[in-house]
Amino acid sequence: MKKVLFAIAFAFFALTGYQAFAQEPELSPERKQAIDSLALEKVRDLSKYVKLIGSKNTPWSEANRVIDRAEELFAPDAEIGVSSLSKTKIEYYRVRQYLERLMRLNYDRVEIDWYKIQYVSDLQRQPDGTYVGVITIFQTFKGYDAEGRLVYQDTTKKDITVYVKRKETQIGGRLIGFWDVLLGDMRVKETTQK
Amino acid sequence: MVKNLKSITILALITLVTICGVTSCKSSDGLTKKEYKARVEQATKDLNAILNNETEWTLEEQQARVNEIKQTDFSKKNPEIVEMIERAEAKIANEMAERDRLAEEQRLAEEQRLRELEEQNKPKTGLADFFNMIANAKDASTANGYIAEALKLFESPDAVVLIRLNNYGDYDRPTTAVNYLNYLKDQKKVNVNVDNIKYNAENKITELELIKK
Repeated sequence: MKKVLFAIAFAFFALTGYQAFAQEPELSPERKQAIDSLALEKVRDLSKYVKLIGSKNTPWSEANRVIDRAEELFAPDAEIGVSSLSKTKIEYYRVRQYLERLMRLNYDRVEIDWYKIQYVSDLQRQPDGTYVGVITIFQTFKGYDAEGRLVYQDTTKKDITVYVKRKETQIGGRLIGFWDVLLGDMRVKETTQK
Repeated sequence: MVKNLKSITILALITLVTICGVTSCKSSDGLTKKEYKARVEQATKDLNAILNNETEWTLEEQQARVNEIKQTDFSKKNPEIVEMIERAEAKIANEMAERDRLAEEQRLAEEQRLRELEEQNKPKTGLADFFNMIANAKDASTANGYIAEALKLFESPDAVVLIRLNNYGDYDRPTTAVNYLNYLKDQKKVNVNVDNIKYNAENKITELELIKK
């Protein structure tokens, strides 16, 4: 009888203990706000990188360095969609491939601007503790020829999935808890002429 | 008459002998033997004092004294004085050159000291200043110059940079000094304050902690 009671008690504590381990406490609103802002900031950082990479005024070595930094923002398998007013099909490229194509676009001058960068789906906590959300952006693209004439322009709405995961690392004998923000696929939602 | 003539002749001879006797004791410098001897003695004494460092005269005073001694011609009767003059002049010239060299060294050392003092008193460009300079640089090349300067403050370009999001122990992904400085160049914004800096023994930054504004 004692053995049975012991086994029941052990099973109870083991299960409740496991549950406590698996479910980290919910973030306070202040902390949640901090990671919301962090993820949004990473997308804004990406917008600057895209602008730099696309610009013909950026020195080649600088553009390559920026490509490395931009690539670090993404999850390893992430893809970026490319649309065109002249094609109905949306092409998807791996991040590095997309950024390298962007650097080599066949225009004499390129202007890329992102605006209305905002959440369309707030960061939601997943069972594994990762926070996942979707941020939308509007991108205007303008391509000019050697005479300075605008030869192509469009505006594309894109959705970017963001993943935010709590990680830890040892630095100088200290355990540092940090939020690792990784961008997932960037999907084209719509492309218009203006 | 003959007697008078004899007396006149004797007187004339005495006068002539007297005059000749007196003038024959003068040297070609117009010095009497006594005066010349005194000059030899004084010159020897002074030259020995100069050669043996037994005088308190300055080098200029020594040179002036040697020039004065040279006014007398000792070459015929006292060639040893001429030799002493040559040695004294060479010694004075060497000492003057050495003195000038030391003075120049001292001048340069003083200039260096003043330069260092000026450098120390110059307001130092702090890390936060560099952040703003990099973010607001007019072009990538200028920003890269500031980055190179800022990196001198760090132990290495890979020194850890932590960015704290709040006071609840939440950080951004750790980065390095060189990457963070380039980030400022690319993003053209500074949205952090310096919160904590760790230095090594050489006063170089080993770890930098920033906090979001």
